[in-house]
Amino acid sequence: MCNETASRYTSCTEDSRYARAVHAPSFAEPVEDAALARAIAAAAPRIDAGAEAELCRRLAPRVRLYGLRHLRDSQAAADLSQEVLLITLQRLRAGELRQPEKLVSFVLGTCRMLVLELRRGAARREGLLRTYGEPDGALEPDEPTLLDSQRLSRCMDALTERERSVLVLSFYGDSSAHEVARELAMTPGNARVIRHRALERVRRCLEPKGARP
Amino acid sequence: VKDSACASPIELPRLLEYWLGELSREESETLEEHYLSCAACAGRLEELSGLASAIREGFRGGAIRAVVTPSIAETMKRDGMRLREYRVAPGDTVECTIHAADDAVIGRLQAPLAGVRRLDAICTGESGEGEMRLEDIPFDPRSGEVLFCPAAAPLKARPAFTERWRLVAVDAAGERAIGEYTFVHAPG
Repeated sequence: MCNETASRYTSCTEDSRYARAVHAPSFAEPVEDAALARAIAAAAPRIDAGAEAELCRRLAPRVRLYGLRHLRDSQAAADLSQEVLLITLQRLRAGELRQPEKLVSFVLGTCRMLVLELRRGAARREGLLRTYGEPDGALEPDEPTLLDSQRLSRCMDALTERERSVLVLSFYGDSSAHEVARELAMTPGNARVIRHRALERVRRCLEPKGARP
Repeated sequence: VKDSACASPIELPRLLEYWLGELSREESETLEEHYLSCAACAGRLEELSGLASAIREGFRGGAIRAVVTPSIAETMKRDGMRLREYRVAPGDTVECTIHAADDAVIGRLQAPLAGVRRLDAICTGESGEGEMRLEDIPFDPRSGEVLFCPAAAPLKARPAFTERWRLVAVDAAGERAIGEYTFVHAPG
């Protein structure tokens, strides 16, 4: 299923920009995700392009976040998002998702299953790389960020030494509060407080002037 | 669940705990079920993810300075960063540099830290001018060293300079110097 050509799934596979660009007048008012799922299932064998695009627009970034959290790799997260949406649409069209109100449970279950598969694939790839080395030009693309790096640098510079270290350990070192606490000889509770306070300071510092009352 | 504001939003500290793997599997799954159906909370998590990514890339790219730990130095090496390290004992002078191909420099200041409650670092120019004091720097007293990782990007643009660093233990009785270190920097 995951190897089928993308052309059948026009709503989700022409990348998320397509989904963001689609405006479906029938979904201008808040509509439940389950209602979109029901509309897609009811339309089969026709394709309800509007409902599919709207469902993809909503779910793609959320599934990508799930992927980033569990895979810590932006390309793998994007792949996960696409695969999950393809499977979801296919099941809806085939009438195999009998309770559309349980759409989220289905999506979450599919996310879990695919993350396990992607991890196994990554382990296989690492084994091959250890044996044969990295091919030329195979660098992972950087995760896109819209933040101004100079401004971020100034905001980070304005933190206390302790706050800055905690954020670097947390987000560069991917360390939990317990790990940060152990390394900096503080309590986990203290590490959490410093982390939260520092992140709030950076968020406020990055906000455009006048954004807060 | 509708694609609109959330009636029971997940607070930032909880999202942070989730993002950094501090929740149990059950707690994580409950949170995932929520944000997979909630645009508002997914948006907050997206913001957090963006900040985390920017801080990671900012540090990796040499735009953010920090006092780090030995484990972060190891992570930087595993991450493929080209690292130049200078281990300096109290009273020592070290000639140092950074090349265009280097990703980071770390000064490893050796110091007797046992019993120290608060540690400040004071940096001056060669003749004591331009004093800058970094208060309450984080450290692990068991490690016997403090690791400074300056922002590599601006450091690469600096001409030759000499800096003197002094580590000072601070407690109710006052201050005592526990180490002085001189860095003589030459452009790479």
